[in-house]
Amino acid sequence: MTLDNAHSDARSAIFASIRDNLAASASFDAIRNEHHVHAASELALTGSTIRDRAEVINGFRENLKLLGAKCAFVENEPEAADRLSEIVNVLNAKKIVISDSELVHRIVNASGFDAVQDASREELFASDIGVTSAQWAIAETGTLVLGSGAERHRLVSLVPPVHVCILLTGSIRQSMAEILEIADPDANRTITFITGASRTSDIELTLAIGVHGPGELHVIVIKDQ
Amino acid sequence: MSMTHATPETFDRNARRALADPILHRALRNLADNFVVRRRNVILSVDDWQGLRERARSIKEETLLRLDKYLEQFTENAAKAGTTIHWARDGKEACEIIVALVRATNAKMVVKAKSMTGEEILLNEALEEAGIEPVETDLGEWIIQLAGETPSHIVVPAIHKTKQQIAELFVEKVGIDKTENVDVLTQTARKILRERFAEAEVGISGVNFGVAETGTILILENEGNIRMTTSLTKTHIAIMGIEKVIPQLADLDVFLKLLPRSGTGQRLTAYQSLITGLKKDAEDIGPDEFHVVMLDNGRSRMLAHRVTRQSLACIRCGACLNACPVYQQVGGHAYGSVYPGPIGAVITPQLIGLSKAKQLPYASSLCGACREVCPVKIDIPELLLHLRAEITEGSAGGTTVKARLKPKFAESLAFKMYGLAWSKPAWYEFGAKVSRLMQRLVARDGKIGNVGGLISRLVPPLGAWTAWRDAPVVAPKSFREMWRDKENDAR
Repeated sequence: MTLDNAHSDARSAIFASIRDNLAASASFDAIRNEHHVHAASELALTGSTIRDRAEVINGFRENLKLLGAKCAFVENEPEAADRLSEIVNVLNAKKIVISDSELVHRIVNASGFDAVQDASREELFASDIGVTSAQWAIAETGTLVLGSGAERHRLVSLVPPVHVCILLTGSIRQSMAEILEIADPDANRTITFITGASRTSDIELTLAIGVHGPGELHVIVIKDQ
Repeated sequence: MSMTHATPETFDRNARRALADPILHRALRNLADNFVVRRRNVILSVDDWQGLRERARSIKEETLLRLDKYLEQFTENAAKAGTTIHWARDGKEACEIIVALVRATNAKMVVKAKSMTGEEILLNEALEEAGIEPVETDLGEWIIQLAGETPSHIVVPAIHKTKQQIAELFVEKVGIDKTENVDVLTQTARKILRERFAEAEVGISGVNFGVAETGTILILENEGNIRMTTSLTKTHIAIMGIEKVIPQLADLDVFLKLLPRSGTGQRLTAYQSLITGLKKDAEDIGPDEFHVVMLDNGRSRMLAHRVTRQSLACIRCGACLNACPVYQQVGGHAYGSVYPGPIGAVITPQLIGLSKAKQLPYASSLCGACREVCPVKIDIPELLLHLRAEITEGSAGGTTVKARLKPKFAESLAFKMYGLAWSKPAWYEFGAKVSRLMQRLVARDGKIGNVGGLISRLVPPLGAWTAWRDAPVVAPKSFREMWRDKENDAR
């Protein structure tokens, strides 16, 4: 038997089993069988009342702090470049890898560091800092949201020991529900949510930071012009 | 201490062995001190926790009642986005599919993200048999792989090990100097596993949720190894139980509020990856092939009854393990199955057959702590009783189990007598009077303890009870007697 035949056999057998077993249960729970009204998004949105922008942005800052991420709010791109230089100097970082975001390019250029875009696996594993942007952020959890449709940041945000993320205040939303509404999974084939540094508590439930991903997360938020 | 040969059928013996293991108790203590407290605090950050649980359950119920429809929708949309869908009736088929996929790539090694479904189908054994080295990359899974053991918890697989034991394991297997510094141990694992990630071509993961309307899968984690596994490799293979599908992307909001809070007491885990098929541009980062293996392995059978169907709502958060007084004492290995704890006690018999796991539905005091914490409101005690009824009545009840088990004559007689004694007030009062007389023989300081084994000789069932704790005595006067006395006095 070919693998394809086996595939369609297994598929039809599983669907037949699902339908038979559901039919067997139908008499037990006829009452429960009416269609549930679907309003997950409604429910989710009632949780977040309309807030003013300052409150949302401040919430993002507070929650990032709680996570142990280092956060800087700056007025413009030159200030962001200064902040990036500070991070690079303090860490004495030599190898910087970056995503293809134009914002990131402008700021890295302004800070005057050499950086590698589209780094190879070897370059990524040897790097000291990865710099990306984020498409959105979530205030209520201090989460960065990276959509692959807009930027190639999947590995730059993951492999280096330090991740610096530069974003605009305008990209901050209050809740996960809002993001799930605007995130387009067809355009963004991977959407990565990042909340703080990589962590584990697999040994005696003791928290350890930086197990596989970055051990340090820096966020630079630029005020919308 | 090896409990790897424990089976669900030897639960009683496994539990006794675990109860006598002080090191295991020290390790398990961390759960109650940490996860239980953190969960209790973090659920307060949600406005309407109970409403959220209701919502989650109704989403699951809606999906399960139309599972065929939602599976069709999920797999069609996933395929449209470039996912290759496979179907496996059981674990053996799933392993065959995965081994064939890995062989086609010529890879000799695969990096693995923690997947309970992978454990369920014994994927590592199948890969090794085919000459493919599976490398577990979750820290806890890697530790137990080094130790040659199985996970003892759904979320923290190495919870049964102390720091000292892990330190010794690292000395023996990795060759570092002995240290109990958790940061040093963690960084050692990072360094070693990065070498494996750097050469990995194939990654295997599980799936937390599959979204029907978009064909998207969601995987949650804290470490980053799942992101590595799914983005550094050329081929990504995900194993997904057929019950993992949910209707809409918006539904994820509900589950992302419930799962991290219930599992680890976090508001959100460090990373969530939403993956929809393949990258659009071949130049982009990410695998060139993405396979999802849809696994039944006994799940569709659970749809046949309202009670058993609840089992399929489980989102594998592990909260019921942490809350369970039995799990807290005996740990995960005592259950002798991939899924331990209260949820393991109900799904294992349904997955492998009730006749092979008769002891598990009894591995509970029915205290209901599991039901209280379950984020999707599974009534685990109801399920346990349902399975116990199937065992004692020897009937399959038209549902999950074909096994015919003989009810114990003595047990059914005892319960008939019990039922009779409690059905008439006069009988009940008579029974209480007899007990008050009899207990004089064995009661000490208002309690019945295991007085030199006397109890075991006189009343064996009570002896089993009092071997580990004291039984209360029957009060000198019942409430009804006191009430009568009071009425008489008043006259």
